[in-house]
Amino acid sequence: MTNKKIISVILGIMCLALTLGIVVQIRTIKSTNSTIGQNQEANDLRDEILRYKERYDNKFKELETAEKELEQEREKATQNDTELKEAQQKITEGNKITGMTEVTGPGVIITLSDGKGVATSTLNPSQLIVHDLDVLSVVNELINAGAEAISINDQRWVLTTAISCRGNTIDINGERIGAPFTIKAIGLPEYLAGLERVGGYLEYMKQDGVGVKLEKSNSITIPKYSGVINFEYLQNVEE
Amino acid sequence: MIFIAILIGCILGAILGFNAPIISYTYSSYLAIAIIAALDSVFGGIASVIKKNFDLKIFISGFFGNAILAILLTILGQKLNVDIYLAAIVVFVWRMFMNLGTIRRYYVEKWSDMLRKRTNKKEAEEK
Repeated sequence: MTNKKIISVILGIMCLALTLGIVVQIRTIKSTNSTIGQNQEANDLRDEILRYKERYDNKFKELETAEKELEQEREKATQNDTELKEAQQKITEGNKITGMTEVTGPGVIITLSDGKGVATSTLNPSQLIVHDLDVLSVVNELINAGAEAISINDQRWVLTTAISCRGNTIDINGERIGAPFTIKAIGLPEYLAGLERVGGYLEYMKQDGVGVKLEKSNSITIPKYSGVINFEYLQNVEE
Repeated sequence: MIFIAILIGCILGAILGFNAPIISYTYSSYLAIAIIAALDSVFGGIASVIKKNFDLKIFISGFFGNAILAILLTILGQKLNVDIYLAAIVVFVWRMFMNLGTIRRYYVEKWSDMLRKRTNKKEAEEK
């Protein structure tokens, strides 16, 4: 009897281990959205991409913690020195302007989504989609209206940002971004809402059938620029 | 008794699995091969019970040993850039089918024996 009890306990533990493994595995595969196709090559490629994505995410997290540490160290080092404190303040102020820190403030959120209309002989299907030039024009108008910080789908607009066409997506800061585009801008909301004026670019897009939505908001958070601004040829002129 | 223990183990494992944190994608291939190895051991165990040469020690060592060996071979294969895990899957699944065949044969034979006995009995009654 005791022998049978031992056997059943051990079998129970083994079944526990097995089902635990199966359930965890199924959940992992589900979370990565990976489906097993029939093509071995496609599977390998998908596998590779998922691996690299995971590695990238891990490195990004590491970078963020390192940056926080750096900030803390800087604060610690400048605690007792007024001169250094001023320099520190200048650095934070500069970072805020160049887009190296997360910023918040009042502003507007503009959403541009591809039109739902059906292309006919009179309606050009190209008019219904949001193009890189549309995004660029909206950003340009926002800057014109006094926007102090802009992000497109959480990509911060900085000095070196270029917006270009990439097939059915657009390229911002070297990242591929697809519709719908959420453009956040910090500035005086009344000025920024002037983009909706008659004859403005947003109205022009609406007439084309593109989905345009503009909302004022009192607190918008715009993430920092995740890349590095690297100038090689720029030099100060000696006077 | 044994079936109750297995059932409780399965249910507890499923509940734990639903609450456990998911593992990273890189390690999921190792877990997959370990699951296949463990499943193979389970079918092997059932087949050996039918053959009446079941040994608990061999069963347990096979369950964990096969799983760990499969994981180690997969890691080695990735280091050497050879898909060893494919060979492991082929072997395990092949053995699984063999064991399933043994189990199936045993139960089918049992069933047909039962049928034959019943018909024999009926014939005897008619006579």
